[in-house]
Amino acid sequence: MALAYLGIGSNLGDSAARVRDAILALASLGSVRAQSSLYRSAPWGGIDQPAFINAVVRLDTDLTPLALLDVLKAIERRLGRTPGERWGPRAIDLDILTYDDESVELTTLRIPHPHLYERGFVLVPLAEIDDRYRPALDALPASERDGVTRLPVAPPASEPSAPAAWCPNPRGGAGEVRSETKAVMSDEQHLSGLAERVRVLAQALVASDLLSVRVERKHEAIELARNYVPAGRLAELPSEFESATAAAPVKLDTVRADLVGIFHLCRPQPFEGERLEGDRELAYIEALGIRNPVRSRGAGRVAAIRATDGDPVEYGQPLFELDRG
Amino acid sequence: MLIANRGEIALRINRACQELGVRTVAVFSEADRGSLHVRQADEAFCVGPGPVARSYLNIPNVISTALITGCDAVHPGYGFLAENARFAEICADHGLTFIGPKPSVIAAMGDKATAKRVMHDAGVATTPGTDILSSADEARKAAKKIGYPVLLKATAGGGGKGMRTVENEQDLERAFSSATAEAEASFKDGRLYMEKLIIDPRHIEVQVLADSFGNVVHLGERDCSVQKPSHQKLIEEAPAPNLSQKARNALHDMAVRACKHVGYSNAGTLEFLVSGDQVFFMEMNTRIQVEHPVTEMVYSIDLVKEQIRVASGETLGYTQRDLVARGHAIECRINAEDSSNNFAPQAGTLADVVFPGGPGIRVDTHIYAGATIPPYYDSMLAKIVAFGETRDAAIARMERALRETVVDGVNTTIDQCLEILAHPRFREGRYDIGFLPSLLKARV
Repeated sequence: MALAYLGIGSNLGDSAARVRDAILALASLGSVRAQSSLYRSAPWGGIDQPAFINAVVRLDTDLTPLALLDVLKAIERRLGRTPGERWGPRAIDLDILTYDDESVELTTLRIPHPHLYERGFVLVPLAEIDDRYRPALDALPASERDGVTRLPVAPPASEPSAPAAWCPNPRGGAGEVRSETKAVMSDEQHLSGLAERVRVLAQALVASDLLSVRVERKHEAIELARNYVPAGRLAELPSEFESATAAAPVKLDTVRADLVGIFHLCRPQPFEGERLEGDRELAYIEALGIRNPVRSRGAGRVAAIRATDGDPVEYGQPLFELDRG
Repeated sequence: MLIANRGEIALRINRACQELGVRTVAVFSEADRGSLHVRQADEAFCVGPGPVARSYLNIPNVISTALITGCDAVHPGYGFLAENARFAEICADHGLTFIGPKPSVIAAMGDKATAKRVMHDAGVATTPGTDILSSADEARKAAKKIGYPVLLKATAGGGGKGMRTVENEQDLERAFSSATAEAEASFKDGRLYMEKLIIDPRHIEVQVLADSFGNVVHLGERDCSVQKPSHQKLIEEAPAPNLSQKARNALHDMAVRACKHVGYSNAGTLEFLVSGDQVFFMEMNTRIQVEHPVTEMVYSIDLVKEQIRVASGETLGYTQRDLVARGHAIECRINAEDSSNNFAPQAGTLADVVFPGGPGIRVDTHIYAGATIPPYYDSMLAKIVAFGETRDAAIARMERALRETVVDGVNTTIDQCLEILAHPRFREGRYDIGFLPSLLKARV
């Protein structure tokens, strides 16, 4: 049994109801041990769209990280997130924030969540249900914290305000849930094998002095890098953490796609928080068989990676936020 | 299907695809992010900033979008890349079906001199004229044979430079030398040729449809003689009023013959100048036309679906005899233009928009209340099409529809269209391409 913190967000339609439905759906994946209040927050990244409703739950689950991710995606689809809305408002967003003390560094999944220590809408609800995150929350800039306000009343979870398709069981509605979970579970042997290899590799990494490690097999490559601070060690590492979050004024510069193609991060992959000494090729956009470099055009810190490795990008799409401050 | 266009035609193509169960990918510029074609397509990709050269004409980004989204085909609509033979070739090189004829046919029809020669070879009547003239003396002999008035044109010409109307022999020599000098100065090529000047002809075009197996049909003609001084069409109707059966048959026969001769496939339009019973081929448009809905109304056919069907390798499946026109259809183009100020294009935000409805009315548009009209593109906002059992019924219906229409926020051509519809020359079907310019001149 592993302990996972999951972030929930929505900014489409009756967002609060969608978040409550998601919490009910999550109950089918294990035991929801704690659940934060609902919070309202402005959308991140300056995009013009409705405010988000966010919450965090603590889930005790037997699912491995990748199996959990698959089920979360299935729940997202069920609760109305469609592929077409890639750049629009989100019907529902489910993220794995932490999974025990494990570190997963894959293109499809990064644990702990890369934005965990940067976003008020994650840390405020998280700190509400786990005091260990209180120092990290206190270290956030006030501007990031102040935009997040607690919703006045959260109706009890036993009275869902929207269709109960994902309700654990009140009127026999659990069948769909189970079949969905079962389908994923049948893949689990493969996934848990992979997860097990990641777990072993992570332990080896933690025990060593290495910063990153990469293992390749025939059809699989696992790359782990040490670029996060485990929650339990936060108190021991105040100086470095503070310098990263409460530093001098942030001057964000958005690097955008200047053509249409498939986005690829360069290897070794740039990561959020990384300092760039000078101009560097961060990624490339593959279009019509040509590799078009995406450069940092100068020094800075990678504040955010906004596009996903291997995904299509359109003209003008934000790829990186670089802090030039 | 990737829809390589914007505005109402992008919506028109998307509608045909949705009805056929074909998934669509829209492309758009940053200025069109809020546009309806972006919302209605199954997927949408921004391909560049507002100016067309960097977005809708950005071939690498358009092709890349088609490839990364797994498209099989590209529909170019009209304008933009629709008659770009190179683009059609590039599509084929990347395994994408271009919805249109073969690149070689697009190229041949895109070059006026080549198109005219090919049509002449096919037995299609072209405007009487000459090859390159070596001297004023040769020009004089040619003009005598063709008959005045004639038009001297620069072979490298464009924009009216090096072009002269010559009414009689006395004026010829001076016109020849001044046109040569002007063409030399403008294009570094002073060579001239001559064409018969047809005064105030009618502009009548024939819709054709062909499959890849040599089957060709025509879908009648459209009269597009209501044109602004810039030769842009404003009102079109099908069938053409007061056209002799002899001229009508000649137009239809020539259009089908021409298509068979050049190995045409897909939808296309042959434009003719008509003067009395005389018809002269002008040019061929190797694409869907703006005014295609009037033909769709009288033939009860979906031309865009037919385009997709034949491009996917199907045969037409019907012959000329199966196609029967019924009734009459008129289209009015509602443009964001100030018709009292030389049709100057208008940009801005539309405060209120109400479109007409009811029996016999079709509206093809991409605008809505609150939409912004960017300054980069064609000023057409909507096409209102009225169908009636008779021409009079269609006109009455169109007048009623235009009076129902509200487009607040920019000047439009609605009032100009109403003025034309009420004019006796339009009512009686006795108008030619000189009609609207003379109406405007009289108003000044």
